[in-house]
Parts: sequence; structure tokens; C-alpha cells
Amino acid sequence: MRDGQIILQDVGVGYRIYREKVSTLKEAVANRFRHLRTAEKFWALRHVSLQIAPGEAIALVGHNGSGKSTLLKTIAGVLEPSEGAAVAQGRISPMIELGAGFDAELSGRDNVYLNGALLGFSRKQMEAKFQRIVDFSELGDFIDLPVKNYSSGMYARLGFAIAQDVEPDILIIDEVLAVGDERFQEKCKRRIQDFRAAGVTFVFVSHSLPTARELCPRAAVLHHGRLAFDGPTDAAWERYRELERGPAPGPVFQA
Amino acid sequence: MIEAAQQTRPDAVPAAAPALAQVRSSRVAEVWRFRQLIALLVVRELKVRYKRSVLGLLWTMLNPLLLMVVYAVVFTTIMAAAQPNFSVFLLAGLLPWLYFSTSLMQGLMSVLANQELVRKIRLPQAVFPLSVVGSNLVNFTLSLVPLLAIMAALRQPFTPALLFLPAAALVLTLFCAGVTLLFATATVFFRDVRHLTEVLLQVLLYLSPVLYDLKQLGEHRTWWFQLFRLELRVNPLSYLIPLVRDPVYYGRLPSLPTVAVALAWAAGALLLGFAVFTRLEPRHIHHL
Repeated sequence: MRDGQIILQDVGVGYRIYREKVSTLKEAVANRFRHLRTAEKFWALRHVSLQIAPGEAIALVGHNGSGKSTLLKTIAGVLEPSEGAAVAQGRISPMIELGAGFDAELSGRDNVYLNGALLGFSRKQMEAKFQRIVDFSELGDFIDLPVKNYSSGMYARLGFAIAQDVEPDILIIDEVLAVGDERFQEKCKRRIQDFRAAGVTFVFVSHSLPTARELCPRAAVLHHGRLAFDGPTDAAWERYRELERGPAPGPVFQA
Repeated sequence: MIEAAQQTRPDAVPAAAPALAQVRSSRVAEVWRFRQLIALLVVRELKVRYKRSVLGLLWTMLNPLLLMVVYAVVFTTIMAAAQPNFSVFLLAGLLPWLYFSTSLMQGLMSVLANQELVRKIRLPQAVFPLSVVGSNLVNFTLSLVPLLAIMAALRQPFTPALLFLPAAALVLTLFCAGVTLLFATATVFFRDVRHLTEVLLQVLLYLSPVLYDLKQLGEHRTWWFQLFRLELRVNPLSYLIPLVRDPVYYGRLPSLPTVAVALAWAAGALLLGFAVFTRLEPRHIHHL
């Protein structure tokens, strides 16, 4: 496999729905672990197969609860599929949420290093990136303030600034472009274009057709955990609209 | 392989499996790759803990000191202990005990405490319990400073055996890491492990030679005393505490069998803890 390649084969992610909520040992023993046997499986994602080539950009589209986030987490390796196999080769910049690894008590500076380490970078490597990250984030002297004092825009700017400088092979972004002012959004988009030009694989969750069309020629539509469409973005959007209009089936439960 | 993956035939699934196994290969190497993260998490823990406190890290040294004063007053004036320099004896047992019990109590909550990260970023989750042990190692090391000061003040002789302390700290750390990993994963599945451990630790303090020494135990013919003896022989702390106390209080190296058993317990705990933790790690996210 090459860096940046993503292969999903018949991926299913099932959550156990415990009809009897058990979180203490006493209850578990009292019920003789019945909750384990009566658990039902809810498939957040099932029979999803996708091939994403290095340098390709794909938008994920779907209603709330369609399994987009579950799919992103599976690609990022946060979730292990309960069925099938998922492989994403190379370094993943998992910006499922910008600033996911921030510690509110620490300064922006400390958080840059902490985030770098969370992604597997050494202090030395982060030192080389540090100034670039601060410049990109436009935080200036605020970098030494605890991030709990940041505005949400500053928070997101620092998060994106880190995400864009970790030399990813795969960039995963979950609707984070909605934050920050318009000018900064434009800057982020330009940076993503650069990445695409450099051959970075890009997986993007979006509710906005213009943004998706601008960034990704290809889109996949998820509908109640199934892959409903995979193809050109405009056609995908039509399919998505179509599915939205139709009656939504209830969630799929299976004992 | 690429053609195979584009179809949704179930028999196409095994094609990606070897690659998957390769990615998930060495858990130890993965944790090692994140060693700098562990170091940063240790620093974060210390920074956050002592933030805006005037004395900062000094508290690490004051804490055992104050505790020792309380115990020393209780045991020397109220209960009249026989040992000379009882404060040194006490501190030499309490410091490793506190290292172990504090690591465990903080560490078993560490995966839950960092669930926001576990949900969003792929990383070996063992870094969380391990960094808790790491920050307690820092505390343990710093608390040796007041210990040495008290030794000097009470004219307790300094012997070359004190040079064994780094090795003692290492063995203790391996043991703490193993037990903490084990309890951290258990707590994810059953939250009451935390409360259970709290109670168990209180009992364990008295069932371990922390406040007393094995040599002080007399002989009784009662069955419960024999049982107690047996428990002390099995209890890993009976071997781990002397690693610190022997050099500090008795001014000699711990006996070779003691070191050997302590090391065996430490290695065993670490292997078991790490194996169980990494085995159950992928399932944590469903229980957070």
C-alpha cells in the first residue's frame, strides 16, 4: 500500500445497545451478566466499501446520524470496525474536531507541543514548525495565554494551524471550516488546495455543496449507515437531496 | 487487492487483513513512539496540578513531610514505638507506599479522564496511565529530598547503600505501571473498580509492612496469625518496600532474594497489565 491510500472493505461498526443499563459490578453480577446476552446491536455503519487513492479528495455527505462521523473515526483508527477491514496508510491528521487535544489550562504554546506529541511528533520537530504555526494562526502574543481565554475563533485557528503543519498523508476534516471568519476560511481552503496539489488524501465532511464542490470532485453519500452513492460531487448531491425527501426508514436494529 | 476492494463481496475482506495486522503490529513499539507524549503529559500533569499555587512543586516535598510529622507524633508520643529514629523508618516505608497507592488511584481514572482524546485521536491509550505513573515518579523522587534532610537532621548515617535507590525506584515504577494499566482498563468497563480499589488500598496499607517491619512481628500460634504471615509472604509490597527501606533506614542493600522476588513481581505485573490493557483497548471507546 502507498501512503495516503485508504481501503475500506465491507466495513461495519456496531454498537451494543444495552436494553438493561449496567455499569456497576453489582448489577452485572445480580443479573448474572444477562445484559451481555440481551444486548442488541445497532449498526452505525454497515457494508461500506470505499477505495480512496493517494491524493484524492472525497466529500462525505449524509443526514445527521447517517454514519459520517463513525466512518471518519474508523478511517482515523479511533474506532475498530466490528466487521470487515479498514486500512489507512500513512500519517493521518485527524482533525475530527479542531483543537481536540487542547488542554484549557495550558498556554497556546504548550498546546502546540502537546498536540504535536499527540500526533507522534518530537519536541524538536515541533520546534521547527512552531513559528510557522503561530504565523498561520495569526495569534501573535496570545500564543502564551492559556487557551481557555481564547475566543472560539482563536481556538479553531490554532487548531487548524497545527493540523495543516503536521505533514499528513491523509487529512480528515469534519465540518471545521464553518468556524473562523470568512477571511480565515478562505486561507484554510487555499491551504487545503495546496495539500491536494501536493498529493495529500483529503476526506471531508460537509453540509455545504459549494464548499464540497470547490474542494472535492468526488463525494460519497451515506444513508442510515449504508453507502448510498459514490461518484461525482454534483450527482452525489442530487442523490442526497433525493434521499432526504424520501421517507426515512428507522434505524436498523438486529439482535 | 485494489480490484478486490472495490467489490462488496464478503470474500474480499481477508485481502486487507494482512495489511491491517501489520498496522496494528507492535503495541510496544507504538507506545515507545509516543514516549515524548508521555513526557509531555507528565509535565502537563505537574503544571496543571501546581498552577497558581504559590509553593508549586514544593508541595510535593511538603506533603510527605507533613504526613510524616502526623504519623511520627502518633507513633512516637502517643503509641511509643520502640524504633530509634522512627520518623526515618516511617518515611522510608510511606514514600514507596504513597508512590504506589497514588499512582493507582489517579491512574485507574486516566483513560476515562482523557476520553475526549480517546474518542478523537488514534493513539496508544496506555500513554495515559503511564504518564500518571511518570508524574508520581517525579513526586516520589522529589520527596526523597525531605527524607534525606530528615536523615541528616536526625543523624541517621548515610551509607553507600543509598546508591541502590535509583534501582529501587525503577523496580517500583515497573510494578506501579503494570498494576495501574490493569486497573485502568478494568475501570473503563466497571466504574466501581475505583471505589473497590479505594477500600482495598486502605486494608492493604495495614496488610503490608509499611508502618511496621516483618522483623518486628512476634510469633503467635493462632491460625489467623499464620494466615497473616502467609499473606505477607505473598504480598508483593513485602518485597518492594524493603527496596527503599533497607538502604535508607538500615543502611544496607536489600537481600538478593528480596530483590529477585520484587523484580519478578514487577515484571509479571507489567507484562500482565500491558497485555490485558492493549487487548481490551479497542473496546474502551464503546464504554466511555
